[in-house]
Amino acid sequence: MEGSGEPQLDAKAKVTNQLIDFQWKLGMAVSSDSCRSLKYPYVAVMLKLADHSGQVKSKSFEMTIPQFQNFYRQFKEIAAIMETV
Amino acid sequence: MLLDLSEEHKEHLAFLPQVDSAVVSEFGRIAVEFLRRGSNPKIYEGAARKLGVSSDTVQHGVEGLIYLLTESSKLMISELDFQDSVFVLGFSEDLNKLLLQLYLDNRKEIRTILSELAPDLPSYHSLEWRLDVQLASRSLRQQIKPTVTIKLHLNQNGDHSTQVLQTDPATLLHLVQQLEQALEEVKTNHCRRVVRNIK
Repeated sequence: MEGSGEPQLDAKAKVTNQLIDFQWKLGMAVSSDSCRSLKYPYVAVMLKLADHSGQVKSKSFEMTIPQFQNFYRQFKEIAAIMETV
Repeated sequence: MLLDLSEEHKEHLAFLPQVDSAVVSEFGRIAVEFLRRGSNPKIYEGAARKLGVSSDTVQHGVEGLIYLLTESSKLMISELDFQDSVFVLGFSEDLNKLLLQLYLDNRKEIRTILSELAPDLPSYHSLEWRLDVQLASRSLRQQIKPTVTIKLHLNQNGDHSTQVLQTDPATLLHLVQQLEQALEEVKTNHCRRVVRNIK
């Protein structure tokens, strides 16, 4: 996504944060300091949010595959309901 | 090095010769306890009632003692300098000896407490790491990209914070080499000379 100095905010940004960017990656954890042999897939999401003053913050989180499937189902439901509105 | 006591300070300490040495010892004990845990004004009121003076007088006496002890400990003045500094107060020999003993007995602990007041940068507490292989992202599919994710646990003034960082193995190797190089510096002649001169 293009990043131009000030993010373009719409009216609702006065009340909630505005989503500027949504990045994701899919990875597999192979080893860690507590467990040397892993085979653990995960989805990492990096959000860029702007608050009402235009200040941009980054938030990131990870989901296991079951958590991601639940996440995905939520959006499918939202999309389905929007069709009926 | 002599302590320079202000007129106000001398006035506050002038209360000490008016009570007997057991009370001064008790004030000394309270002073060190307040340095350890913080002050408790209720103690002043209790003591004031028992001694028949205002609680302000007691408070000033104890605080004057605290200041005398912290300044002496901070500067690490010698026994002789302490005795000479206290001499100007015109106290009895017994009281002077008591104050000197109070200083010598508590100096080390007070210095430890004072050292904790220095400004504190976040310091290392522990580290967790994870080796990942990135398989896909929004912009590129079909990848095999190794990455290292590190969760750095830090301490600052008793607060705990964490930083999550991510890098690739080559950069991590470079980081390790830089840190090893920094450690090597400690063994150089220049560093050794500086340390010797400080000691």
